[in-house]
Amino acid sequence: MATAFKVEPAEPVLSVQGLTTSFRVSGDWHAAVRDVSFDLAHNETLALVGESGCGKSMTALSIMGLVPKPAGRITAGRIMFEGSDLVSLDREAMRRIRGNRISMIFQEPMTSLNPVLTVGFQVAEALRYHRAMGGAEADRAALDLLEQVKIPSAARRFKDYPHQFSGGMRQRVMIAIALACRPQVLLADEPTTALDVTIQAEVLALLAELKQAYGMSMVFITHNLGVVAAIADRVAVMYAGEIVEVAAVRELFRRPRHPYTELLLRSIPRVDRHVSHLETIEGQVPSIAAMPAGCRFAPRCPLREARCDAPPPLAGAAHHVVRCWVRSEGGGHG
Amino acid sequence: MIRYIVKRLVFAIPTLLAVLTLVFVLVRIVPGDPAQTILGDQASQEALQALRQRLGVDKPIFDQYVDFIKGALVGNWGESLVTGRPVLAEVWAVLPYTVDLTVAAILLGALIGIPLGTWSALHRNEAIDYATRVISLLGLSFPAFVSGILLLLAFAIELRWFPVISAGKLDDPVERLRNLTLPAINLGIIMAAYVTRVTRSSMLEVLGEDYIRTARAKGVPDRAVIWRHSLRNALIPVVTVVGLYLGILIGNSVLTEIVFNRPGLGKLIVGALNQRDYTMLQGLMVVYAFLIVAVNLITDLTYGFIDPRVKHG
Amino acid sequence: MSRAAAIGRRRGFSHALGELLRAFNTNVTSWIGLGIFLTIVLLAILAPVLAPYDPLEQNIVARLKGPSEQFWFGTDVYGRDILSRLLYGARVSLIIGTTATLIAMVVGSAIGILSGYVGGRVDLAIMQLMDVLMSFPTLIMGLMIVAVLGASMGNLIFAIALTAIAPFARIARAPTIAIKQRDYIEACRALGYSDLRIMAVHILPNVMAEIMVMGSLWLATSIRVEASLSFIGLGLKPPTPSWGGMVREGFEVILDNAWLSIFPSLAILLIIFALNMLGDGLRDAVDPKLRGGE
Repeated sequence: MATAFKVEPAEPVLSVQGLTTSFRVSGDWHAAVRDVSFDLAHNETLALVGESGCGKSMTALSIMGLVPKPAGRITAGRIMFEGSDLVSLDREAMRRIRGNRISMIFQEPMTSLNPVLTVGFQVAEALRYHRAMGGAEADRAALDLLEQVKIPSAARRFKDYPHQFSGGMRQRVMIAIALACRPQVLLADEPTTALDVTIQAEVLALLAELKQAYGMSMVFITHNLGVVAAIADRVAVMYAGEIVEVAAVRELFRRPRHPYTELLLRSIPRVDRHVSHLETIEGQVPSIAAMPAGCRFAPRCPLREARCDAPPPLAGAAHHVVRCWVRSEGGGHG
Repeated sequence: MIRYIVKRLVFAIPTLLAVLTLVFVLVRIVPGDPAQTILGDQASQEALQALRQRLGVDKPIFDQYVDFIKGALVGNWGESLVTGRPVLAEVWAVLPYTVDLTVAAILLGALIGIPLGTWSALHRNEAIDYATRVISLLGLSFPAFVSGILLLLAFAIELRWFPVISAGKLDDPVERLRNLTLPAINLGIIMAAYVTRVTRSSMLEVLGEDYIRTARAKGVPDRAVIWRHSLRNALIPVVTVVGLYLGILIGNSVLTEIVFNRPGLGKLIVGALNQRDYTMLQGLMVVYAFLIVAVNLITDLTYGFIDPRVKHG
Repeated sequence: MSRAAAIGRRRGFSHALGELLRAFNTNVTSWIGLGIFLTIVLLAILAPVLAPYDPLEQNIVARLKGPSEQFWFGTDVYGRDILSRLLYGARVSLIIGTTATLIAMVVGSAIGILSGYVGGRVDLAIMQLMDVLMSFPTLIMGLMIVAVLGASMGNLIFAIALTAIAPFARIARAPTIAIKQRDYIEACRALGYSDLRIMAVHILPNVMAEIMVMGSLWLATSIRVEASLSFIGLGLKPPTPSWGGMVREGFEVILDNAWLSIFPSLAILLIIFALNMLGDGLRDAVDPKLRGGE
């Protein structure tokens, strides 16, 4: 596990600046991701945390250039990577980056692999396109990858189809596909959510190990704060399409400042603390077409004040920023 | 794969028996005496009795059933009341025509329908997609004789590009093709309409699948995403429809053969109908029973070929 | 509305109807299809008023006249007015098509609901029978039955209805099985409602929408099969005008008198296309997942 306080290199690997991704809902465009900014340092793991529908997956898809068209599009912002802005790249240039310099793994291992193509082929495919490898060479490299993600008797299973693998094994295959070209950045969208708890731990350990071995940076998307504690260096909490708090993982767990983060932390089931009931957050995430004009969390917030009717900025010291009128001034809480 | 094929073959046997039983029931559905129906009211008792014996309807119904099934299974499909020739020989004689027509129609239907449906799906809700949907709906609204007559009028009678009677000899390849063209187009466009629609909807479904997103995420070019990752999955329901359509094709080929005056199974049926040749008709139904089961079998085997889950499942 | 959601709620007849109407409103092609179909129905009903001539009256002087001001669509081999015959012929297509479809709809849905409701081996046996029925090409089966029984209106209706029962049974059965397991059906049983009442009052309304969609599509098929059988020569005996029969008569003189077969051909195409537009639009609306599907 990486230390929470490390010296960040001057140049981030990936820099998302003011990203806004909008969707068309019955004729009008609404922002599903609004003004999201973050930097990802070399070999850093940033966790994007939030409830489902808060825009964390859409942020990752925006980085990949995979926002579903024509219903959605990036309406503002820049995504700086290796000296170019991914938002303004053409299709072909973006394709050459996907699966090569930036990779993504998805939540559903059961449906994310193509049922009619062999596992070996699906791993080798990325190498064929990005490394211009021939069939045999790509196959050899793919087999090597399957061994690295610890698929038992990988050589024998190379020509098997996805339905012959278990969920955990399929997610390992997904990881092999994502890592095939040794990407700079790995976007992991809830990669362990669909798996059994024991398998979850194995896959997380594998990801952490490979991240070190490959020297990658990782954006880890999850709603599970327990997983965040195990894998992340820094955490960005998202709510209703916006980042509401960013801090190093220990800092955030010890001194959460945004009321939403606090509530999230209190809703984690913990073995070391006997609680009679888990706290749940009252109310619902506002729908994309009916966002409050001011602070988006205000309708559910226990600390709501009059000034919350205006949208709060993301503010605070560099190592800990928060989007809250009440909490952004006068230091942390407690 | 071999195990799968054997399994399918074994499963085809009860289906064949069931379809043959249905044919038997349909043929025996008529109330009263078939001999009387064939010979009419004026027939003598001796003639009626002789015909009953020849038809085998003087026996108890269960014996008739057993005889029928046995005969059907060993390839004894009866003989024509009119010509006395075995049904099998009659069918064998027109088989090349039927095979030509069916294969050409399926090829045309697939070659037009699959790309058109894919193209339509990729341009979902654009003008081109709406046009394709309406035109394919129009295409599958054509009774085969209506489209046949319109084709005949335009290309054989007005433009004279093709013969009005598509009977010609089979040994001259040019002649054979000229005779085949219009009937094949007639069956092919109706089939293309079905294939287009099902390809479109199944392609739309596949394009929304997670594994397509995975393919894009690993940087597979659009063309390979469509042809390698999407189409093979999208074809699984298309096979079902082609299988179902072969039933419609069998019916439509009867109408097509009438319009273009082309020899084939359909023409045999119409001939038998006109001459009240009931044994011939019954024999032809047995042929259809075998055809239907064969089509189902081929459909199943195609699944095994396209979808690895079926083969191993 | 998704199928699951549609089944998820308990609905009355008016609700099922409402869903169908809402489906309707959103779809232009449905409206065009319905418009054309109703126009044809109206023309058929008003045939005695609208037809310029008696459809059976032969006129040796005016044989095989092309379309003119006097005979809009021309005359046939016996000098009968084609327009008048078309108007009356619509009645034959509509009566045979709708009666056969209604019978198949009622019998098929009853079989499907009963089979799904009873379940077990009975269900398995019935459904296998339906599969065998369905495997036989509609036209070939219709042809066989009419050939054996003889061509009359009753026999045509019987033959066409028989071929359409299996698809209705299938479509009614699937939702029945889903609804059967819902709590409120259990509650009805606990309250001592009879099975018949549960099926009629609680299950039937839930499968209505899909049966209606299927009905409009099968009406098109029924009309096509009737026309095809008539074209083959297994339709109503002359001189009764039927569209398929008119095409058949026209086809015999097609080399010199194309209009004879063209007008009835187009009439058949038009009514089938209209019904397909109607059914296709309805299906899209009832089940968006199948949008434009087959």
